[in-house]
Amino acid sequence: MKRFIRWQGLVAFVVLLGIVVGGLYFFAESLTKKAIIKSAEATFGAEVNISEVQLSYSPLKLTVVDLQVTDSDKPEQNLFSFEQAAASVDVWQYLFGKVIIDELEVSQLAFSTVRAKPGEVYLTNATDDSAAEDSLADQAKEMLPEVDMKLPDVKTLLNDDNLITVKAGNALQQSYKVEQEKLAALKAELPNKAKIKSYQNKVKALGKMKVSSLADIEKIKTEFEAIKAEFKADQALVKKAKKQVSASKTLLANQLSAVKDGPAKDWQQIEKTYQLESIDTEDFAHILFGEQAREYVTKAKWAYEKVAPFISSSEDGKNTAASNVHAKGRFVYFKEETPLPSILIKKATFSVAMPTSQFAIEASELTHQHWIRGKNSMLAIHSASNGEFNFKTQFNLAKSGDFNSDGNWSISNRTLSDTKLTDSKALTLSLTKAQLDANGDFSLINDEVSATNQLVLNKASYQGEAKSKLTKLLVDTVKSLDSLAIDVGVNGLITKPELSIGSSLNDALTGAFKEQVAGKLNEFKGKVNKGLNDKLANTLKLGDSQTAELLDLEALLTDTDKALIDLKNSDIVKQQQKKLEDKVKNKAKDKVEDKLKDKLGDLFG
Amino acid sequence: MLTLLAKLFHALNSDSSVRQIALAIALGFIVGLSPLLTLHNIVILFFVLLIRIHLGSFILAVGVFSGISYLLSPLIVQVGESILTSPALAETFTMLYQVDLFKLAHWHHTYILGAWVLGVVLCIPIYFISKVLIEKYRTHVMAFFEKFRIVQALKASKFYRLYTSFAGESAFSKGAL
Repeated sequence: MKRFIRWQGLVAFVVLLGIVVGGLYFFAESLTKKAIIKSAEATFGAEVNISEVQLSYSPLKLTVVDLQVTDSDKPEQNLFSFEQAAASVDVWQYLFGKVIIDELEVSQLAFSTVRAKPGEVYLTNATDDSAAEDSLADQAKEMLPEVDMKLPDVKTLLNDDNLITVKAGNALQQSYKVEQEKLAALKAELPNKAKIKSYQNKVKALGKMKVSSLADIEKIKTEFEAIKAEFKADQALVKKAKKQVSASKTLLANQLSAVKDGPAKDWQQIEKTYQLESIDTEDFAHILFGEQAREYVTKAKWAYEKVAPFISSSEDGKNTAASNVHAKGRFVYFKEETPLPSILIKKATFSVAMPTSQFAIEASELTHQHWIRGKNSMLAIHSASNGEFNFKTQFNLAKSGDFNSDGNWSISNRTLSDTKLTDSKALTLSLTKAQLDANGDFSLINDEVSATNQLVLNKASYQGEAKSKLTKLLVDTVKSLDSLAIDVGVNGLITKPELSIGSSLNDALTGAFKEQVAGKLNEFKGKVNKGLNDKLANTLKLGDSQTAELLDLEALLTDTDKALIDLKNSDIVKQQQKKLEDKVKNKAKDKVEDKLKDKLGDLFG
Repeated sequence: MLTLLAKLFHALNSDSSVRQIALAIALGFIVGLSPLLTLHNIVILFFVLLIRIHLGSFILAVGVFSGISYLLSPLIVQVGESILTSPALAETFTMLYQVDLFKLAHWHHTYILGAWVLGVVLCIPIYFISKVLIEKYRTHVMAFFEKFRIVQALKASKFYRLYTSFAGESAFSKGAL
């Protein structure tokens, strides 16, 4: 036995195990702290600071004290920070490979707080699509003064080479030139009138030939066949030319049709470019509140983009292993009596400190595998400072990857003060004071969002400056309103949502605005359309002459074809045959008559 | 590292049992293939320390095979994945999954199960191959190299002094700690 067993090895094993367990026990906190910082820095791409991590073992509770995550876009600020987060973890499930947090408590969560010293940034955002949003907002802001003060110059507009009318006209001319060359080449090969005449003369001559024997008929037939062979070659040419004429006609007709549609399309483009179509719908609310609404939508989009990768890769990360050189594998879960997701926070509470108000957030059943327990994640946000704010949502992710979420929100009696609505060269408008009541509901199915929101501003007072007649009218009308209702709809893909903003302001301003702008706009529209129609008329004139040329050629081809068919179908051989037959018959008849005469002479003579 | 290599060369050249070294390499292969702190590795470590096998060879084998396992990880995961997701074995694994020890050993993890299965299956041929190679080394290679002058020159080096210092320890000749 002693030969195989070394009992001192048992002591070594116990000592080794003791060292490992002791090491883990004594260094667990610093190791956990390092692990959290490393993974958070990898996720957010900027410096992450944690003051302390505490671990208590019965029950296992992890406490993170004073966490600060640097905002990679503004390193002097934190993206978010909190004073303390405590999570009680189910140890047994953790050892089985699952992270089940019974309770998570985050206190004093704050966003965009100033850091003591700027944090390091490891990753910079490669693309910043806020520029596109800004340009949209700027366009909306600049719309009014442009319409009011300087509509685009008609001459410049009409001289634009990019006009569809001009482009289509040029294309038509170019095509006509090409087609004309093709047809001219074919026309040169076609039999001319003299050639047709010579065929007709040859056939006529064959008809006049004296026939006295079958050999003569055979000769006529051979000569007619030779002339027919010449017809056939010419007929093939005519056929080819006809095909080409038909193709040219179709092509030119299509291009002509495009030219005719040109002015209407050009006007549509001009309307779109200079936002004239928006003026038709009198979308004033969009101009005044669009920027604010867009900001909220951009924030929602940002949040979605952060969460979306987790949603899409939630199905146990099956495909992630193959792409890495070092594969890490995954846990495979089987049926059990009380199934649990791989990650679950049963209950979470957050207290959020914003500059003007405090929020309490409660969440339950936070996971990415809702189908395992058949429960939805719930999230409720409440704030009672400065009116009351409530937000409730529930969401779930199906095993197939489908994401479903819906919720509602409401604000009551919230006092707004000094809120900038719009700021442009010609118009600045801000809300000095107002009472806000609002509510809305939304649903998000995969990446399709649908939301309706109603906001009502009561007891509102505004302050604004306007430089043009039109913007002055706008400011005066807004100032005269004591109550203002705004409906904001968000629909479509969350990455590219469509905003619709309706407001009682639109109705109030419609009449006055129309009066001011309609005359000017109509005059402008008239001038542009006249210029476009003139261009169209010139092209159409050219088109008509081209069509006439084509028709002439078509008529010539039809005539030539008909003449050739007539010659081909000529029964000249038959006619000559008949002549010969008649001749033979007459000869025979004469012979019989002579014989008869002779016999009768003999008889009576 | 130099010390470990010296130990290995000493084991190969000494009277240590060939089986002791081959078994150490085979068990080192199982341990090296999967992540170090797993339940089955702790159990193997227990037996390695308890049974008289050559520890130097074991530690060296763990180091070498850990490196190899990094390269083999896609294969290991694939083996684990195909076993754990095999419809024919689904019932067996569902039954095993109800046992806490199975979950504690993380045998429902594709990497760990793949490493364990590959380790257990391949450790047998590795044991025999190691045994044959060590025997061949002792009979042919060692005697062959002994003749060269360069070997005699090496014997004067620091490495050789280290080697001989281990050779002087009687415990090694028995393959113990």
